Amino acid sequence: MSAATIDAAGLGRRRAMLLVAPALILITAFLVIPALWTVYLGVTDYRLTGIQAANPQFVGLDNYRAALVDPAFRNALWLTLVFVFGSAIVGQTGAGFALAWTLRSVPKIVRTVVQTLVLLAWILPSSIVAFLWVAYLSRDDGTLNAILHTGGTDWLLAHPMLSIIVFNTWRGTAFSMLLFSAALGAVPPSQLEAARLSGAGTFAQLRDVVVPHIRGHVLTNTLLISLWTFNDFSPYLLTAGGPNHASEVLPVFIYNEALYGGQLGYGSAISFIMLFINLVIALFYVRLLRERR
Amino acid sequence: MSASTPVTPETSGGPVPQSVGAPQPMQSTAINHRKPPRSHGLLGLLAWVIGILFALPVAWMILTSLHSETDAATNPPRIFAPLSLEGYKAFFDAGPWPALLNSLTASVLSTLLVLLLAFPAAYALSIRPVKAWTDVLFFFLSTKMLPIVAGILPLYLFAQKTHLLDNIWWLIVLYTSMNLPIAIWMLRSFLAEVPVEMLEAAQVDGASLVRTLKDVIAPVVMPGIAAAALICFIFSWNELLLARVLTGTAAGTAPVFLTGFVTSQGLFLAKVCAASLVVSLPVLAAGFAAQDKLVQGLSMGAVK
Repeated sequence: MSAATIDAAGLGRRRAMLLVAPALILITAFLVIPALWTVYLGVTDYRLTGIQAANPQFVGLDNYRAALVDPAFRNALWLTLVFVFGSAIVGQTGAGFALAWTLRSVPKIVRTVVQTLVLLAWILPSSIVAFLWVAYLSRDDGTLNAILHTGGTDWLLAHPMLSIIVFNTWRGTAFSMLLFSAALGAVPPSQLEAARLSGAGTFAQLRDVVVPHIRGHVLTNTLLISLWTFNDFSPYLLTAGGPNHASEVLPVFIYNEALYGGQLGYGSAISFIMLFINLVIALFYVRLLRERR
Repeated sequence: MSASTPVTPETSGGPVPQSVGAPQPMQSTAINHRKPPRSHGLLGLLAWVIGILFALPVAWMILTSLHSETDAATNPPRIFAPLSLEGYKAFFDAGPWPALLNSLTASVLSTLLVLLLAFPAAYALSIRPVKAWTDVLFFFLSTKMLPIVAGILPLYLFAQKTHLLDNIWWLIVLYTSMNLPIAIWMLRSFLAEVPVEMLEAAQVDGASLVRTLKDVIAPVVMPGIAAAALICFIFSWNELLLARVLTGTAAGTAPVFLTGFVTSQGLFLAKVCAASLVVSLPVLAAGFAAQDKLVQGLSMGAVK
């Protein structure tokens, strides 16, 4: 129920449309049409090189059928789910909430500094943070091995999924932290006070007072970071999907399959499957948003 | 009920920000009052520990970038080794300027374009919520969720056919479209807080559309514009996937240059750390210059 259903500024329908049109056109041209094109490519045997590059044939749902029985694709899908669950739902949400909860009762200066440090991980370019983590986890001269005295362990080879999960948790926690900080700021202090006076411990306070208030934020946050993690390409920079596909999440799989392996048709079909999963999550999210207003 | 409450505390008198992340002062005094100071100390300590853990890789990068190559290679890292700028010298000798300039061009131009397109659109969308407008808004929001990797093949093929590969303008256009939905969504939540009377007054005064936007609305939602600009700048500057696939030697951006540099010079830690630091400086500066706006913009854009 914001602003006004009446046209307060006297903008008029036509002018309003004129103002929105350029943005709409650009987004349609460069985000929506490529996505639709992906759908088309997905039903052809298009390749980067060779005969099929010049004259791609319509193959119907063959690519999709191939995907469903392709162990590499199933593996990638499963790894993506593990990645999203481990790093977004458990890691970022957990760490983000813990930080937000902790930071609300510390002196302001501590809060500012810690928030800044956490935010640092979020705003740095992924090419850089990836390199930092490769150096941190590397076999011989890695800092982690020096700290743990586990010289010679190649973390990225021995525990590739764990590595990218921890990496992505570190990378993305800032968003959850900020969102939960904002949410916790809206919990009426009087209710917390009342709970505390009646002897409720931290856990009881969280369960009875905080969670009911921030349920909407938890949902928003979970959906957004799940989507981002689902689409995240940066694991490529750590492990390139290896060793032997052990950390090949879907975006990396598409990159390896389509751009590196040249199988554009197949890669597009997989892209569309990803797109579809995204769409389902996004629709769910949009519905929730609508219900809230 | 609670779910429908916007996160922003009632900043009566327009959208003037206060960091949304920070609890209201009243609240914290209430808490201070009750809690024994000892638990503060513990929580504070915990907060510090987490903060330091998060900052560790970055601190290591800064330190290593200032060491000589031999000191950088020691294990465990020598913290008090003499400082040296040889890493920076080596990086700048490798000729990073074209890449840095490409990044700057792409980020700044696409950010300007985004603002130029998003501000009027967000304005029209927020003051005239006709029924269909909500659908348009949600359309914008949903495109924010398209995975780039899913659209990258068509973008590549199109560029190949139109000879736009390795052309910085192709990146600028793509970054603009990529950031538009976020910017519109963010600006709209700021514009929703502009008092209706203000718009009516502008209309009564007979101000033209451009004038209303430029002289009446823009100053009021400046914090929102700044936040959107920063986020777009940071996203474009950091973008790697599109740049990596669509550019080559001519239009390669700093992150692309950097990944190449890491591959070829990866063993020379001081050099690579210096390179990383230089490439991150613009986003670090942008982030620190307006941390509270960034926080507000992100949480508003996401939640409202």
